[in-house]
Amino acid sequence: MRSIREALLGFSRAKTMSFFAILSTGFSLLVLGLFALALLNLNTLIRYFESKVEIVVYLRDNADTGRVGMAVEDLGRIDGVGRVNFVSKEEALENFRRDLGANSDLLQDLETNPVPASLNITMKPGFRDTLHVQAVAERAAELPFVEEVDYGREWLRRMDIFKHVVSVVGMISGALLALVAVVLISSAIKIAVFSRSREIFIMKIVGATNGYIRRAFLIEGLLKGLLGGVLATAVIFAVTEVFSRKLIPITGFTDRYYLYTVAAGALMGLLGSWISLGRYLRRI
Amino acid sequence: MIEFNNVSAGYAKSAPVLDGINFHIDKGEFVFLTGPSGSGKSTLLKLIYHDLRPLSGTLRVAEYNSRRISRRKIPYLRRKLGIVFQDFGLLESRTAGENVAFALEVTGASRSFIRRRVSEALEHMGLAGKERCYPQELSGGEQQRVAIARALVGEPYALIADEPTGNLDPSISREILKRLEDINAMGMAVLMATHDYSLLVDRDHVRRLHVSGGRLIYDGPTGSFAPEEPPVTGNDTPTVV
Repeated sequence: MRSIREALLGFSRAKTMSFFAILSTGFSLLVLGLFALALLNLNTLIRYFESKVEIVVYLRDNADTGRVGMAVEDLGRIDGVGRVNFVSKEEALENFRRDLGANSDLLQDLETNPVPASLNITMKPGFRDTLHVQAVAERAAELPFVEEVDYGREWLRRMDIFKHVVSVVGMISGALLALVAVVLISSAIKIAVFSRSREIFIMKIVGATNGYIRRAFLIEGLLKGLLGGVLATAVIFAVTEVFSRKLIPITGFTDRYYLYTVAAGALMGLLGSWISLGRYLRRI
Repeated sequence: MIEFNNVSAGYAKSAPVLDGINFHIDKGEFVFLTGPSGSGKSTLLKLIYHDLRPLSGTLRVAEYNSRRISRRKIPYLRRKLGIVFQDFGLLESRTAGENVAFALEVTGASRSFIRRRVSEALEHMGLAGKERCYPQELSGGEQQRVAIARALVGEPYALIADEPTGNLDPSISREILKRLEDINAMGMAVLMATHDYSLLVDRDHVRRLHVSGGRLIYDGPTGSFAPEEPPVTGNDTPTVV
């Protein structure tokens, strides 16, 4: 289409301005992208720790196997419960022995098995917070053959607070960064459009309709924003790769997020041009 | 063709820059527009290409009426006017050919049509071979000729020139004037604002509109103009000494 050709020509004619606009968009999106990447990885870390959440229900030695079996089923049916594992006294002792490792010979002279049997309950993702875990723990504690229930209450509580703080700080920071990005990009575009104000005047004098002028500039703005988005995507990708290979593997963006970045750039370029141009088109 | 009916214009109703302007330019006429700086010459031209709306009165340009024209129609009016400025009004980042082509690109004409018309227009103005030159590579006179070529390429009803020789030296100025007269000789109306009175010498029969203090104080042959004329109150009859 002629408009695209025009837009590309417009680029080459105002190389410095175009470059500046692309760089501003790219930089803003990069900062936002890296921020998102950080949050993503923080999330992954949180999920990892959450997956370690486990409710250990210690059973009395005289627990009836039938009733234990029923309890396993009942508990398994509670909303949010993932798996309920029965660990027998023998298995528990073996695990203990293994945990002691070199010091396992301490257990050699034992006459009876002091280690209790237990039910190890894991929660499904999304239910690994204090509220749900506590509910299940309390249900388990009501059972008559239960000695004790352990679910790392303090740790869980701190995790809850941490998640809450991360999400609030994340949202505020994200919003601020987005605002800064918008300001930066629109400034760059305003400058670019202003430097073309004479061109716009001449376009109007030879009889270009507002629509024609708008189309030309909007397409240019869109392309600049798109390229900025692509630039940011490339850098984020590079950062992810370098990190993962040289330091530690990190969670990267999925294809969808890269697409969002590029699309965000295009959108910002489009909007920025529209708003900056509006002022000039209203005059004559 | 161009008709002003009791037009007042300006940027504030209380202090109009132009007041009670009446005149009529026919197809094929050549008219000088003169007057001291700040007299309203540029304002008058802006009214013609609708960069400004009249505060009162009506003006007509071809089939476009200032009272009835909507903003959306203005670009179409401008396509039918060839406008030339003192500073040439060329886009620095485009070649001469691209500058001329620009006037047709906005109309959505086909590329082959544009190519042909651009060649013709540049050749007509003696700029064959300069199509790929950038404005910076051309002399003042050449740049103005490119501007004129651009103004003509869309085959307008009239050519409006706002101090076209203002930035040119005397001999080039005369050359440009000659070219405008040639264009006029082929049937196109030309309205040229100027404060270079040396150009008016030897052009006694050419019609002249003189604006002073926001009023049209003279409308008649150049040769009969005397500066102390009272303002033209009626409409058409020029006051001749």
